[in-house]
Amino acid sequence: MDSSGFLAIENALFTAVMILYLISMALYFIFFAMKNEKAARIAGWVITLAFVLHTAALIVRGVGAGRLPLTNQYEFATSFAWGICLCFLVFVKKYHFQALGTFVTPVIFLLIGYAAMQSREVRELMPALRSNWLGIHVSTAIISYGAFGVSFAVSLLFLLRQGRENHDFWKKNIPDYDRLDIISYRAVSLGFLFLTFVIITGAIWAERAWGSYWSWDPKETWSLITWIIYALYLHLRLNKGWRGRKAAWFAVIGFVCVLFTYIGVNTWIPGIHSYA
Amino acid sequence: MMDRLKKAGRFLCSMKCAVILLVILALACTAGSLLPQGQTAAYYTANYAESLAGAILLFRLDDVFHCWWFVGLTLFLCANLLACNVLRFPALMKRMKEGFTAVKRIAGWDGVPATVTAEEPEEIFRKLGFRNVTRGVMAAAKVAQTGGAETFVPSAAEAAPVSADTAAASVPTRYAVRHRAGIWGAWLCHLGMLVVIAGFGLGQMFQVQYSVYGVPGQTKPVGDTGYTLRIDDFQVKLREDDTVEQYETAVTVSGNGTAGETGTVSVNHPLTLHGMKLYQNSTGWAANVQIFKDSELLQEGVICAGEYALVEDMEGLAVVLNAFYPDYVRGADGMPMTASPALNHPGYLYTLYYHDQILGMNVLTEDEIITVEDYGIRFTDPQQYTLIQVKRDPFTPLAAAGGLLVMLALVLAFYLPPEEVWAVQREDGTWALAGKSRKAGAYFLEELAKYGAKPPVVTEDDLAARQE
Ligand code: HEM
Repeated sequence: MDSSGFLAIENALFTAVMILYLISMALYFIFFAMKNEKAARIAGWVITLAFVLHTAALIVRGVGAGRLPLTNQYEFATSFAWGICLCFLVFVKKYHFQALGTFVTPVIFLLIGYAAMQSREVRELMPALRSNWLGIHVSTAIISYGAFGVSFAVSLLFLLRQGRENHDFWKKNIPDYDRLDIISYRAVSLGFLFLTFVIITGAIWAERAWGSYWSWDPKETWSLITWIIYALYLHLRLNKGWRGRKAAWFAVIGFVCVLFTYIGVNTWIPGIHSYA
Repeated sequence: MMDRLKKAGRFLCSMKCAVILLVILALACTAGSLLPQGQTAAYYTANYAESLAGAILLFRLDDVFHCWWFVGLTLFLCANLLACNVLRFPALMKRMKEGFTAVKRIAGWDGVPATVTAEEPEEIFRKLGFRNVTRGVMAAAKVAQTGGAETFVPSAAEAAPVSADTAAASVPTRYAVRHRAGIWGAWLCHLGMLVVIAGFGLGQMFQVQYSVYGVPGQTKPVGDTGYTLRIDDFQVKLREDDTVEQYETAVTVSGNGTAGETGTVSVNHPLTLHGMKLYQNSTGWAANVQIFKDSELLQEGVICAGEYALVEDMEGLAVVLNAFYPDYVRGADGMPMTASPALNHPGYLYTLYYHDQILGMNVLTEDEIITVEDYGIRFTDPQQYTLIQVKRDPFTPLAAAGGLLVMLALVLAFYLPPEEVWAVQREDGTWALAGKSRKAGAYFLEELAKYGAKPPVVTEDDLAARQE
């Protein structure tokens, strides 16, 4: 099969994935708004199916392009959505916590929508982008951003829980404050560990490609800012008075920084990363 | 005075100080990424309101990452990190040596819910992944006296506190711990950050770098190192669709009485020769410039775009090759441009100077000649030059080691935190089990509860009753 054949399959899969994410988002909303637990169960199946097809779409694109599909804005957006979905499924399985879907699926859908607006053309890579380190760099970024996406959703739930402590629906479906705090912390620590990998592998790649491992390029600087925000979260959490609501706000702000690092920097600030 | 000093010292070691510093550094980075850096003062006054431009220049926001206050704050953070680590070291040592014992845990057993089981705890602990389980006995008095006995069975119906008559008897205990080294995670992470910052800072101070560019056959000095770099070959590898796959330069570095060392540099594949690291950094066009006098070839040589050639015969006459267009056309706006990267129709943009005076500026195509008095100038044989960046930074390995340490330390801090489990035998022969994990909290206890008769749920009422 030639590359246009692969691209056609990928396109079909991508469309199906987008529709499935949309359906699961709608079902999660129904679950939350109408307290319908069956909707959550179905949503769980739909999003799992979406994830499987999404994985297939990425593999097909990778095979068609003959490289990891991690090099332009479209590929990274769709992989980013995939990473959030992966982390979401892992956290749901581990902490039996379907309600998370109501807050994660909109983020996934936003990113898939952003991906849909980007050019899907498969282009040959300029020499600087042909590096194994770049592959590792971007793969770790997907996990990191995925984990931060989950912590964002958990923290929103934490903030919304106030005043609803005694609702039966919340009691039954949403973990208590302590547990939400732990889940958010687990997600942030996974994200922080991987963000550290991202920054270090990025520095190694930059050194090999550009001769300097850190040059305060806007994308580097913004990943450092994001990293500092989450370091603040980790420290403030050690303080009893800050654990909980205040830390939750930091996790929310941190994710806004993640999105800015990824989308905003490319859109508004020029730098050597702008082509990526 | 002493008081103030002490206060300042305590602040320097505090996490509060770290938080404030990190917030300021994050804001500084934001400013540094949003405002264009390293422009001239005129640029800021032209592009920003007067007061804002004034502030930018006053606070050096035009060069945030190298200005004195940014460096100062970073040093301050280092002092803070160092102080924090030095201060915490003895406590961590002590905790490592004495903190993980049955006595410490069981005597201080407070507020941790327990679960009750008839099974031998050792088995349960093994199933949870704990290897070395310590069997022991503890004076019942010790258990009772600390209030531990009341906490390990949370609900009233389950409660079987050790009574006063049994206080003298001894109570069998079990205890196990794993990942003790995990308490060093944050400490090592802080140390790693110090090493990274030190490596980066020293690198900024002591690294040297040079750019060497030219075409195959040329030999150029590498700054003031005493070495020379000869470009043996330069290849631009194209794919079928004319996009560039790789730039590759073969080089020989020699000098300072050493034998020449040879190798190939390409993008993403730097090369180390004579302790200097070489990077394939960029490329551009060069051309052969020929200068004639009365139609006789007077001189010729290769110059790169941006360079000039002096006419040897006539002082003050020079030609600059400003730019080169491989497929020269005039754009819609009349400006020269290239229609494709292919060498179809070479065009050379030049400027002719006589001392400071511009005599002319235009685009020459192949075989065209500029004439000035008796002289003729023309460009031929366009070819791509290569630009090699040569760098020596002895501190890169230090920064890399710091980075590696931070990564390993984070794994230790987040994924291998100490976990403890312990059990005390109750009067009826069953066991009360409890466990502690800073990272998994309630979830860890739930895991433990799977082995018990009752899940270790503490209700708000239990907590209130206990506090009374
Ligand atoms: C760039 C700077 C820093 C980074 C990247 C950093 C990173 C970390 C990390 C990853 C943790 C572990 C958090 C956890 O286990 O949840 C931690 C804990 C901690 N940090 Fe920092 N830190 C920094 C600066 C500081 C400074 C300057 C202080 C000084 C006061 C400090 C004090 C602490 C303390 C007291 C802990 C708790 C230690 C423990 O749980 O054993 N940190 N830090």
